Amino acid sequence: MDIGFLAQYVLSGIMLGVVYAMVAVGFTLYFGVLDVINFSHGDVLTAGAFVSLATYLGLRATGIDSPVVVLMIMLVVALGSMALLGVLIAKFFVLPLRHAPPFITLLITLMVGIAIRESIRLFYPSGSNPQSFPQLLPKTAYHWGNLIVRQDTLILILTGLAVIALVNLFINHTRAGLAIRAVAQDGETAKVMGINFEWIVLLAFALGSALAALAGVMNGLYYNEVNFGTGLMLGIIGFCAAVVGGLGNIYGAILGGFLFALLQTIVVVAVPSLTAYKDVFAFGVIILLMVIKPTGLIGEVSSERV
Amino acid sequence: MSALLSCHGLVMRFRGLTALDDLDLDIRRGEILGLLGPNGSGKTTFFNVVTGVYKASGGRIEFESQDISKSSPQAVYRAGIARTFQRSRLCLPLTIFDNIMIGNARHLDHGLWFNLVRRKQLRRQFEACWAEAHDLLTIFNKALGTRLLQAAGSVSMIDRRRIEVCRALVSRPKLLLLDEPSAGMTHEETNELMDDILAIRKRMPELTIVIIEHGMSVIERITDRCVVLNYGRKLCEGTYGEIARNADVQQAYLGTS
Amino acid sequence: MFSSDKLPGAASAVAGVIAIAVFAMVLLRIHDQWGLLALGVIGGIALLLAVRTGAAAHFERAFAAHERLMNGVVVVAFLGVIAVLAKEDFSLLILSTVLLYCVACMGLTVQLGYCGVMNFAGAAFFGAGAYTAAVLGGHTSLPHLLVVLAGGLVAGLLGSVLLLPVLRTRGHYAALITVAFGILFRSFLDVNNTLGGPQGLTVPGMTIFGWSLNQGLAIGGITLSFYVNYALVTLALAIVVYTVTRRLERSWVGMHFDAVRIDELAASTFGLNVQGLKIMAFVIGNVFAGMAGAVFAMMTGFISPTDFDFPTSLVLIAIIMLGGIGNLWGILPAAAFVLILPEKLQAIQEYRFLLYAGAVILVLLYRSAGLFPRRLRRHFPPKAVS
Repeated sequence: MDIGFLAQYVLSGIMLGVVYAMVAVGFTLYFGVLDVINFSHGDVLTAGAFVSLATYLGLRATGIDSPVVVLMIMLVVALGSMALLGVLIAKFFVLPLRHAPPFITLLITLMVGIAIRESIRLFYPSGSNPQSFPQLLPKTAYHWGNLIVRQDTLILILTGLAVIALVNLFINHTRAGLAIRAVAQDGETAKVMGINFEWIVLLAFALGSALAALAGVMNGLYYNEVNFGTGLMLGIIGFCAAVVGGLGNIYGAILGGFLFALLQTIVVVAVPSLTAYKDVFAFGVIILLMVIKPTGLIGEVSSERV
Repeated sequence: MSALLSCHGLVMRFRGLTALDDLDLDIRRGEILGLLGPNGSGKTTFFNVVTGVYKASGGRIEFESQDISKSSPQAVYRAGIARTFQRSRLCLPLTIFDNIMIGNARHLDHGLWFNLVRRKQLRRQFEACWAEAHDLLTIFNKALGTRLLQAAGSVSMIDRRRIEVCRALVSRPKLLLLDEPSAGMTHEETNELMDDILAIRKRMPELTIVIIEHGMSVIERITDRCVVLNYGRKLCEGTYGEIARNADVQQAYLGTS
Repeated sequence: MFSSDKLPGAASAVAGVIAIAVFAMVLLRIHDQWGLLALGVIGGIALLLAVRTGAAAHFERAFAAHERLMNGVVVVAFLGVIAVLAKEDFSLLILSTVLLYCVACMGLTVQLGYCGVMNFAGAAFFGAGAYTAAVLGGHTSLPHLLVVLAGGLVAGLLGSVLLLPVLRTRGHYAALITVAFGILFRSFLDVNNTLGGPQGLTVPGMTIFGWSLNQGLAIGGITLSFYVNYALVTLALAIVVYTVTRRLERSWVGMHFDAVRIDELAASTFGLNVQGLKIMAFVIGNVFAGMAGAVFAMMTGFISPTDFDFPTSLVLIAIIMLGGIGNLWGILPAAAFVLILPEKLQAIQEYRFLLYAGAVILVLLYRSAGLFPRRLRRHFPPKAVS
């Protein structure tokens, strides 16, 4: 097998894995702190991508040129606005229903996701069509013999891995992260210990949503395109990845994300004629894994008192 | 007296916490056994392991010479063990009648054909069950008899506990596990409840009961024998009088001087 | 004004049904957009007044008290509406579609409303039945009534294969699987050319015992729309499925479904076969959806993957949430509202998913039991003494 050819797919697989992992970490955060499945997560990703696109178009009108500056502003606006959206979703739709059966929260977040998706489709100019996303990262490629590596791919992968590592650091080595973990373990006790339960939940949602926004921007930069339906599939995959790794477990989410990407890449590389079925295949394997290990590969983290 | 249920070296570990630590316990046929111990000593965990809610980390449980260590909750129920829960677990949106009948799965016909097509027979079974539920419930609270068709959520906490006891009794189990049935009740209500339980016992003399309780007067009054747990191990056993005088027990509950 | 201790008489219930039927008739016949808007406003005000004055609650009690009679009255009302619309293809098509969606939603009610099994792929099972009908109807000479049954069986089988792996896990895993299935069903069909691909499949019309439904009946010189035939068949299917579902609810099985939904753990300690019950509910619900899908395919004559996509599954869920989760009678008004309104009011057609999502969100936040909350479950509700 041609190394260069293989390496292409490996790199794009890693790229996908990074994006899936970021989405999965969001799901795991929400489940961790509130035992909820937040199905609007994928659509927040899309919204983040669209907000950054709109920012780009606005900046272009003002004549700012430097791609680095433009990208930075886009990221700040997208991540900031999506963090805010995440907080609003938590405050108005999720927290009020935290004592209702979990199905209700699942359903309301699903509906919020639809509302976001449809709003983009209806109210963004020609929203039902795919939008071209600007190319802001250098596309020059490094050549090592047969191996061709684009700079933007490398930048995206490294950024993604760095962000995941940072989030991990935040959760495991800061006081705020400790508070999140405390609430995830036992909300009632955390409250008694003086942790402001609501603030921590909002923080978790802000963090998860910012991650989603980043994933959305990265997705847009890589494919040079965004579409109002992008988030739905990414959300399902991200949820799937979080579940197979073990809901509530950050390492599990990361593992699950890369695993899903790996499964998709295997299909594309080994059986190219079945590329259209790569999602079905990956889901199938995941379901098999769930049957073998129902609480996830690393282990689900939740609490139920008998 | 032969042992109805016996546990040997029972261990239950939860990620770092050992709730049951090499527990040996025998429950004799026909007795009322009090299970005591400070909070966290493993009493409810013991119930959960026996009823198959938790899978024991080690050890063996035998019920009527049958190994039920790895049995599912359903299998344990079918063998003839029923229970109440420490934290009330009733189906509040359902009627009181439904709640009681949920405990009677052993004697109900579950087949789709029976339930969908043989409606006359279903009605007859329903009416028989109605009489049973009514009988049982009125032992505990006459007033509830007329409220069988009301939602369980519409009655008081005390009545809900009574309904839970009825749910556990309706299938005529061999072993009844009561987890703090008098929690939240006043002295009078507790005494009433104990009277009712003893009345049930008269009707079903082979019924063996294990009761987790904190009220000492209850224990003294109703139990034949007591077992005290501490940190998941058996601290001592004997009649109420014996264990009350035991120095270790006093230390466990009150601390050393 | 409308409160009373004794069971209310049947007259008020009958009057209510007639009023609703007349409203539906007018709604289905009007095409003028302003007229529709006016009708909608009038309907909304009437509903509000009914709820405020207690007339709605009175109607509900009267309806429930005279069940046998009211079932008959509703069927007669349907026949009346069908008769009035006898020459209007489109109106009858909408009516039949509403009835078929109701059947699928009754299936969803068994799964979600009774047993608490999440199913976000309702449209996919509906579609499984439809494609079964397309394949069997187009390539075999299997009698069409059996084709309908086959549609149900295929959907049921598909469901059991899907759910068995995740039965031992927590609820959200089942949610994940059905969401994934709901999304992938359509993409699977799109790439699969043996089943027509994105272009879809044509389906031969239904023939029952030699009577071809695609030919309009001629009565006394007037030729009725052939959709009258389908309306009657869908009504019959709805009646059968309603009866089965109602009996299921009013039995030990229905009681056990509820027990599993409310508290799985307690249910297991009292011997209930939780996994068996969930599978039973899931399969039964999907069989209903599959049968409805088969009839849908034969009625519309042409199906394509977009008819059975994820948003459609969500519409089914929206219907049972709005109507009142677990309440069979709430399905009809909710389905009518969700399906008829966007068809008629062209202006909101594009926005309908946004509106559905908004409506469900409002219901979940403020009235999570739905517009018509489910009544207390009974084995044998008392009949009114005449």
